[in-house]
Amino acid sequence: MRRILAILAGLLAAVALWEGYKAVGNPDGTVLFGVRVLPRADDLSMPHVWTVFQRLGRPELTGGRPVWIVVLQSCLFTLGITAAGFLAGAAVGLLLAVAMQRFRLVERGLLPYVILSQTVPLVALAPLVAGWGGTIMPPWATVAVIASYLAFFPVAVGMLRGLQSPAASGVELMRSYAAGWWRTLVKLRLPASLPYLFPALRLAGAAAVVGAVVGEISTGTRGGIGRLIIEYSREATSDPAKVYTAMLGAALLGLVVAGAVSLLELPLMRHRRHVEVVTL
Amino acid sequence: MKVLPPLIVGIAAIVAWQLTVTLGRIAPFILPAPSEIWEQLVEQRQNVWEAALASGANALIGLIGGAIGGVLVAMVASRFRPIAEISIPFAAVISALPIIALAPILNNMFETTSSIPRRLTAAIIVFFPVFLNTLRGLREVNPIHQELMHTYAAGGWTFATKVRLPGALPYVFTGLRQASSLAVIAAVVAEYFGGLQNGLGSRITSAAAFTAYPRAWAYVVGACLLGLVFYLTTLLLERVAMPWRSRLI
Amino acid sequence: MTAVEIDNVTKVFNQGRSDEVTALAEVSLTVGDGEFVSLIGPSGCGKSTLLRLIADLIEPTTGTLRVAGKDAGRARRDQDYGIAFQQAGLFEWRTVRRNVELPLELRGMGKGERKARAEEMLALVGLAEFAGHYPAQLSGGMQQRVAIARALAVQPPLLLMDEPFGALDEMTRERLQAELLGICAQTGTSTVFVTHSISEAVFLSNRVVVMSARPGRITAAIDVDLPARDEAARQSDKYFEHVTAVRQALRGVPVESTT
Repeated sequence: MRRILAILAGLLAAVALWEGYKAVGNPDGTVLFGVRVLPRADDLSMPHVWTVFQRLGRPELTGGRPVWIVVLQSCLFTLGITAAGFLAGAAVGLLLAVAMQRFRLVERGLLPYVILSQTVPLVALAPLVAGWGGTIMPPWATVAVIASYLAFFPVAVGMLRGLQSPAASGVELMRSYAAGWWRTLVKLRLPASLPYLFPALRLAGAAAVVGAVVGEISTGTRGGIGRLIIEYSREATSDPAKVYTAMLGAALLGLVVAGAVSLLELPLMRHRRHVEVVTL
Repeated sequence: MKVLPPLIVGIAAIVAWQLTVTLGRIAPFILPAPSEIWEQLVEQRQNVWEAALASGANALIGLIGGAIGGVLVAMVASRFRPIAEISIPFAAVISALPIIALAPILNNMFETTSSIPRRLTAAIIVFFPVFLNTLRGLREVNPIHQELMHTYAAGGWTFATKVRLPGALPYVFTGLRQASSLAVIAAVVAEYFGGLQNGLGSRITSAAAFTAYPRAWAYVVGACLLGLVFYLTTLLLERVAMPWRSRLI
Repeated sequence: MTAVEIDNVTKVFNQGRSDEVTALAEVSLTVGDGEFVSLIGPSGCGKSTLLRLIADLIEPTTGTLRVAGKDAGRARRDQDYGIAFQQAGLFEWRTVRRNVELPLELRGMGKGERKARAEEMLALVGLAEFAGHYPAQLSGGMQQRVAIARALAVQPPLLLMDEPFGALDEMTRERLQAELLGICAQTGTSTVFVTHSISEAVFLSNRVVVMSARPGRITAAIDVDLPARDEAARQSDKYFEHVTAVRQALRGVPVESTT
C-alpha cells in the first residue's frame, strides 16, 4: 500500500515538474553556446498533461476509432509477441543454466559469453534479424526472436547463481541420502534458486519489452506499439499530443509485464527472503 | 588455464558458423559468413571508426550525466528519508518501462541536428540503476561502524565522508557496470527512432536497407566492441578505485 | 583515582510498553586505576548493556556513571576510552595502518605523527609487517588484534572490551589473552572486559564481577590473585580454585565475596 502511495506521489511530482517547466520555461527552449540545452516549452513540443489525456478520448484520424482503443490494441499485439519471446528466451535460459550447473566445463566455456552478451548492444542486430521475416519465419516471429535473445541472458545468469546458491552443507546432506544429481536438482537447487530467478525474470521481462518495441520498429511490423510510436511521432508537428499517447501505451506494456512476473512470484515466494541479484 | 574453455568455445563457434554458412549455402540476409563480415570490417574500418566515435561520444556524455545525476540524487535521498521512501518505488517502476521509447519525443523537443536527444535518452536510462544502487549503498551501513564512530564522538559530516561514502563505493560500481552497457545500447538504438543519424545505429539500418548485410553485421560488430570497451573500462576503474576488492563480479 | 564509578544504575528498555524489559537493576561498581575487571554472567544478564552504558552508547534510566572522573558523555567526547567489540569492525576500504589511524585522524592528529603512532601500536600487537595489507587479507584473529591496536591508539586511560575474543578459536584466544595482559601492564590502562568464559575472566582479571540473569544484578565480586599470569598459571591450583569460585558464584551458590 505504501509503495502505491509512493508511486502516486512520484507521478504527481513528475506532472508538477512538467507543468512547472512549461509555465516558466522559454517557449523556444534555452540555448547555451549555440546548443539548445533545454527543450522548447511551447504547446507543440510539450503538450499539457491533460491535453494528452484528452487526446486519448478523441478519434485517431478524422472519423477513425478513438486513440485509446488503437493504443490498447497495439499494446495487446506487442504484448503477445513479447510474451512469446520472453517465454522462449526464459525457457532456453533456464535450460542453459541447468546445463551450466551440471557440467562445470559448459559453465566455464559459455558463462563468459553469456555475461558479456549483456554488455554489448545485441539489440542492434534487430534490423538484421528483420531480414528473416517472410522467408524462414513470419515477420512477427522475428520480433519475438529479438525479444527472446534479450530475455535469455539475465535469466541464464540469474538462474545459474540461484542453482549454485545452496550451501555446501545442503549439498552434502543430499549426498548422504544417496540422492543423485536430478533429485538434488529438484529437491534442493530448484527451490533454492527461486529468490534469484524472479529478479532475473523481471529484468528479462523489461528487456523483452525493449526488444519487442525496437524489433517492431526495425522490421516495420504493423499492428504493434513500436510502429505506432513512429507513426505518431511523424505527425508530431500537427498533432503533438498523439505521440505521447503512444508513450503511455509503451509504459503500460512495461507495467503489465512487470506486474505479470510479480503476480507469478506471489504464491511461490511466500515466506522466502528476497535477494539482490546482480547479473552483470 | 582459465581462459582456455571460453577461448576454445569461441573459436569453435566461429569455425562452425563459417562452415555452416558456406557449405549450407545460407543466404547473406539470413546470416553472412564470418569471413565476409571480417572483409567488410577491414574495408569499412574508417567509417566504422567514425560512427563508433559518434555513438561512443553520445554514450559517454549520457553515462557521465546520468551517473552524476544518479549519485547526487541518491545522496540527497539518503539524507532525507521521505524523499527516499517516495523515490525508491517510483524509480523501480520506471526501470521496468521501455525508456528508449522516449526517443521520438526528445527528438521533437530539440532540433533535428542536435545530438542532445540521444545523449539525454542515454542519461535517463543510466540514471535509474546508478540512483537505486548508490542509494542502497548509502543506506546500508554496518552497525558496528555506526557504534564505533559514535564512540569517537564523530559528527554527521565526518561519518558521511569516512564511512558512508567509501562503504557505498561497491554499490556505486555495481550500478555503473550496468549503466555503462546501457549507455552504449541507448546511444546506438536511439537512432532507430529518427533524429540525427551519424552513429552506428543509423549505419546498421541503412546497410540493411541496401541489403548489404555483411556490412551491416560489420557495424554490429563495431557496436559490440564499443559496448565491451565501455564495460571493461568500468571494470578497470572499479579495480583502481577499490584496491581492497579481490573479486570483480 | 577511579577509572569508572557506577552508582545504583538501572536500565529499562521500552519503558511503559508491552515489551518492557529491565536489563539492569541497581548496579553499582567501581573500577580503580590500572585495574582489570571482567564482567561475567549468563546470556541476557546485562553485561554488554553495562559496558554500553559506560561507553555512553546508551543512557541509564536511573543512577549515575562517572568515567575518568567525568560524566560518561563528557568522557566519550573527550575520548577518554578505547573500545573493542566482538566483531573487529575494521573498514574494509582502508589498509590496516589507516584503520588504526582512524581515531587519531578524527582527533586531528598530524599525518606523520599518526603514521608513527599507528605503526607503534601495530608493533605492540605483533602485526607491524601487515600495516599495508587490507583487512580482507587477514585472519579473524589478526583483524581482532588490529581492532585492539586501534582501541589503544589514542592511549586511553580506560579500555572497554565486549567479548572481543568470542569469535576466535581456543588457541588464538589464549595467545591474544597473553598479549592483552602484556599490553595492559605496559601501558597501565584500566580495563572493563565482558566475557562469558570463566577461564578467560580468571586468567585476565584482578577482579571478576559475576552478574545474574535478567534483571541484571551483581551477585558476587571475586578478587583474583595469581602470582604470575603465564602458561604455567593456567595449570596452577590457585587458578583452578578461582575458576571454581566463579563457577559456583554463577550457579548461585553463596560464596564469600571478597569485595
